[in-house]
Amino acid sequence: MSSDAMNAPRRGNMNTKNQRIVLAKVGLDGHDRGIKVVARALRDAGFEVIYPGLWLSPEAVVRVVAEEDAPWLGISLLSGTHLVLVPKVLELLRQQGLSHVRVVVGGTIPEEDVAPLLACGVAKVFGPGSSLADIVSYFKSEAYHERTRCNSG
Amino acid sequence: MSARDVTPDESSELQGLWQAAKQGDRRALARLLTLAGQSEHKPTLYRLLAHSSPPRSSLVSAITGSPGAGKSSLIGKMLPLIRQQGHTVAVLACDPRSPLTGGALLGDRIRMPVTVEDQGIYIRSLATPPGRQGIAESLDIRVGILEHSGFDWILVETVGVGQGDVAVRDLVDCVVLLIPPESGDEIQWEKAGLLELADLVVVSKGDMPGATRTAAQLQQTLNLPGFPPKQILVVSVARNLGIAELVKQLHEQPRRRHAPERRGQRLLLLAQEILAERFAERKDLVQGVLAEARRQGWDDWQAANELVHWLMTHE
Ligand SMILES: Nc1nc2c(ncn2[C@@H]2O[C@H](COP(=O)(O)OP(=O)(O)OP(=O)(O)O)[C@@H](O)[C@H]2O)c(=O)[nH]1
Ligand SMILES: [Mg+2]
Repeated sequence: MSSDAMNAPRRGNMNTKNQRIVLAKVGLDGHDRGIKVVARALRDAGFEVIYPGLWLSPEAVVRVVAEEDAPWLGISLLSGTHLVLVPKVLELLRQQGLSHVRVVVGGTIPEEDVAPLLACGVAKVFGPGSSLADIVSYFKSEAYHERTRCNSG
Repeated sequence: MSARDVTPDESSELQGLWQAAKQGDRRALARLLTLAGQSEHKPTLYRLLAHSSPPRSSLVSAITGSPGAGKSSLIGKMLPLIRQQGHTVAVLACDPRSPLTGGALLGDRIRMPVTVEDQGIYIRSLATPPGRQGIAESLDIRVGILEHSGFDWILVETVGVGQGDVAVRDLVDCVVLLIPPESGDEIQWEKAGLLELADLVVVSKGDMPGATRTAAQLQQTLNLPGFPPKQILVVSVARNLGIAELVKQLHEQPRRRHAPERRGQRLLLLAQEILAERFAERKDLVQGVLAEARRQGWDDWQAANELVHWLMTHE
């Protein structure tokens, strides 16, 4: 047995293949408490969370996702620019052949903007009412479904 | 580890990615580095690596030091300098995976610039298995993949190369040990066995009070009569000091990875792989030897030796 297999997580009961998540803040807003709390919670749930920092442009975020070969991108926005920046990120992902990357958006997203975001390709939106537990259980169940799909396919 | 676990499909997917990565396709490179962490792909990747020579040999440096020593910040400042010299550079930023949950928070990129246009820089965060052995295993193939992708420099960020980490030392040309000011005394450094593993000892955060004192202490500890002299460098990311000098000194380091004894070790490992594979293909020989051992009254040692002999001659 290889040492990777021996070091397999004991409690994190997920396949590591789909657990890499890039968590990024896009745009010019400097608050990072929220995203750091999410990053820690996801790490404790067994995910590999890549946190590239604040003030990233959509181009920079997409570059990070490409380099990290991450199947997930979580974007947090508090600045109300989501209807511009999120479609921009999705467009860049498509241009770079990264349309398989699933994008999750969090932050101060008004209820009425959720539908347009989903329509342009966002996988899930976590608005102001979402709890940490909601976010973690969403990623857990997605990773679980992904794994069963891989195993049966 | 053996090629018997590799299905043709898997192997041809890897081969496609391998060819693309070698031609500069960064997406393929990113994918390969992911697959390199999955044990089922390792045999094929080892084989691909062993079957070709890199376009040029990379200068591989490990940047090590305690948590918060300033490793990522330093790398972040080295990148533009290396690029200015016309060289390409890849970074493997390693953080340990939690042994309890398997999760990891990979935050080294915060201190490194994101270059949107420049294809001459590639940065990858890696969660390394807990425990010391694991780091070396997951690095070996990845460094090889990056080297075959044509990077002039490969920088590996790892938390403290301690006594047990001789393995990592063997995978790189040069180990840089970063020591922040006021971070201990001679005895601690000696005990940790860090100083002797380092090729270059560097005091970080040179703008902080105490940096000069720490450098002087290290100088004293390291330069004992009868030992080859070591120079202590002081760098400051905040003031942009000493970093060009560090890059220059790294450039002048001997390439340990390509020393004959290292190549010898690599060949031995490969030979073991090949043997393991051949045995796996000829399990029938075991039955034969068992029958013969009963007839001849061999003990296990004799039988095993006979088995090796059979494998070599039953081609
Ligand atoms: N004053 C000063 N602070 C520095 C310098 N370099 C790094 N720091 C600070 O030291 C802290 C840690 O820096 P990092 O570069 O993240 O250190 P690291 O060794 O990569 O840390 P880990 O990856 O967490 O082990 C940060 O707050 C940096 O801003 C420096 O030259 N001067
Ligand atoms: Mg770091």
